[in-house]
Amino acid sequence: MQNALVAIKTDDNHDELIQLVSFNLDQEEYGVDVLKVREIIRMPIVTRVPNTPDYVEGVINLRGKVVPIICMRKKFGLIEAGNDKQTRIMVMDMGGELMGFIVDAVSEVIRISGSEIQPSPAMVAGGIDQECIAGVINQSERLLVLLNLEKMFSRDEKNLFTGM
Amino acid sequence: MPPIDCEDQELLDGFLAETTELLEKLDDDLITLEKSSDDTELMNRIFRSIHTIKGASSFLGFDLLVKVAHKTEDVLNRLRKGELVVNPEIMDVILEATDLVKLLVSDIKAGDIQERETDGTINKLLPFLLDTATAAKPEAIQPLPAAPTVTTPDTESAPSPLETPSQSADSIPNPVAAPVPVPKPTADVVPKKAPVPPKPVEGKGGDDLSDNSTVRVDVKRLDDLMNQVGELVLERNRMIQINQDLQQNDVNRADFNEEFGKLTKRMSFVTSELQMQVLKMRMIPVEKVFKKFPRIVRSMSRDLGKEVDLQIVGEETELDRSVVDEIGDPLIHLIRNAMDHGLETPDERLAAGKSRNGTLVLAAIHEGNQIIINIKDDGRGIDTERVGRKAIEKGLITEEQFTAMSQREVFDLLFLPGFSTKEKATDLSGRGVGMDVVKTNIKKLNGLIEIKSTKGLGSEFILRLPLTLAIIQSLLVEVMGEIYSIPLSSVLETLRVDQRKFHLIGGQEVLKLRDIVLPLIRLQKVFNVQQRDDADDFCYVVVVGAAEKRMGLVVTRLVGQQEVAIKSLGNYLANIPGIAGSTILGDGRVALIIDPVAMTEVCE
Repeated sequence: MQNALVAIKTDDNHDELIQLVSFNLDQEEYGVDVLKVREIIRMPIVTRVPNTPDYVEGVINLRGKVVPIICMRKKFGLIEAGNDKQTRIMVMDMGGELMGFIVDAVSEVIRISGSEIQPSPAMVAGGIDQECIAGVINQSERLLVLLNLEKMFSRDEKNLFTGM
Repeated sequence: MPPIDCEDQELLDGFLAETTELLEKLDDDLITLEKSSDDTELMNRIFRSIHTIKGASSFLGFDLLVKVAHKTEDVLNRLRKGELVVNPEIMDVILEATDLVKLLVSDIKAGDIQERETDGTINKLLPFLLDTATAAKPEAIQPLPAAPTVTTPDTESAPSPLETPSQSADSIPNPVAAPVPVPKPTADVVPKKAPVPPKPVEGKGGDDLSDNSTVRVDVKRLDDLMNQVGELVLERNRMIQINQDLQQNDVNRADFNEEFGKLTKRMSFVTSELQMQVLKMRMIPVEKVFKKFPRIVRSMSRDLGKEVDLQIVGEETELDRSVVDEIGDPLIHLIRNAMDHGLETPDERLAAGKSRNGTLVLAAIHEGNQIIINIKDDGRGIDTERVGRKAIEKGLITEEQFTAMSQREVFDLLFLPGFSTKEKATDLSGRGVGMDVVKTNIKKLNGLIEIKSTKGLGSEFILRLPLTLAIIQSLLVEVMGEIYSIPLSSVLETLRVDQRKFHLIGGQEVLKLRDIVLPLIRLQKVFNVQQRDDADDFCYVVVVGAAEKRMGLVVTRLVGQQEVAIKSLGNYLANIPGIAGSTILGDGRVALIIDPVAMTEVCE
């Protein structure tokens, strides 16, 4: 399983077809590698965890596993919006551990070839960390921001997280 | 060096497993032998163990190991035949050799055979192999072949398997000079000539031998487990059946309720049985840790010149592997302290009107869901006056604080890192690290420490530990609508109190509880829980103890007691202050488990 996830690297093989899960967040469309997505679920009851950064929504019970939940809007510094029928949690594999991300809606799985990925322009939307943007995909009508969520927590942040 | 790339890995594994087991037992047996030297059965067992090790290692070609084991075996053989008598000097050397064997075995285990210095130890063994060595009765030395020819042939024949002939030749000049058995000189000269290598005993080699990656389970227990699993399968089938009936609307509501109620009862019965069985399999006797101690106590008492009688009680008490792994270090520190600080030298003891021999009792016993380990000595006890003065000297407390301290608070000072009453650090103690280690490890296990001591009569350290770490009894509490779980092992009592009875001392809320002043922590504040309107004056205080501290957690309501399985929060949320982990409640929601230990730190 692990190997399968590691084997496909978006940067190296430019012509290889890759599949992305696309999701919406405050008007914009984002994509993540489909192999990193374990499952997509509706909002369950979230237990708040005290003394954590505000974007940590809490933890949920995913069939007996306790999984931390991150609110993407808060993490990216976007305006908070209440949960509605479209709200989903994307449970992702983050280096062997599961983690859930709250997004506005999950739309589809798209195939693109590696060559379509362009490096991100130097200045992107203020709130989003440059680190976790793997590239931008410009497909006729739509613009898709490709995220590498494993890079989302900068080293400092991880320490802050564990050493608070 | 020889074949570590052993063709047959299985063979090597077998060898390692067997040798490790034998060596573990050997230490214990050797110490016992010293006390009851006429036990031939024991003697033979020891001899067989070392013989087996020698045989197996020579088969696999571990030359160094063979060499050491062979010499040890020779000495043991003479002991067995009564040509030598057991005395502390011989035992010292044999134990050293055993340690060396352990070190070599652990090298093999690590897959990295090193050229270790073995001659030093072997040379210490050699004098006991000479006919001239201290014998039981002088007449007993009649291994005739050696007697007539005194010079070279003799020296060659006795230590023949030795690889370094030059050394052996060195060590025998005396028999050459003084022809026939004059015991003294040999015994004296040879140890001097023998090079004194850096003790191979140092380093943790020997300790790491014990392997916790595999488990041996009683077949009976396994059979029981299989039975339980069988029952579980039956109950599952029953459940599927009930569900089907319900789907097809075959049943009326009353029948369903009854059936489902029955099923629930049976399921809960089978599950708890199963849980017990699995728990039992994880249990190992505390003996695994305790059996190191006779050896440690022996060598320490020899180093310190004290006479100590170690009594071990309840070594068959079982507890979870995870706990067993953690208590080794704290116990060693406590025993060292008792040996070094607690017990007096024989002269001091006689002067104080006590028996020459100090007594050190190490006891383990089950009590409810806990195991209690007791380390008790009849030494000089803790001198509160001296502890206090030392603490003042180090600027840890002020004179006024000390005069106001209770005995218990003074004992708590012992756990401060860097605290020691010793003027100078020795090999054994005095750096002020030991008690800190004890505290940290016991806290990690959610345990409690209690000290009892009477000056002049001795001290007692009482450790209370949970039986297991995976499933715990917990108290569920509600804090303004949020549910938290507190490990029951650290809950001492719960009270319903009027908030107006709280006092404020230096910004810290406290509660007068009988004769103690209990610091309070409002979970609502620590966890930033949103205030709800329906707050009333009455609340509940859960009194918890962590290691040697007590405090009260203020909660809105007590929900109840429940057995919960601990779930980790994962790496990302691993170190949230005050939270030890999480668990899943009956309704599927996650509840966080409070870490009483970390709470005390928040309190400070």
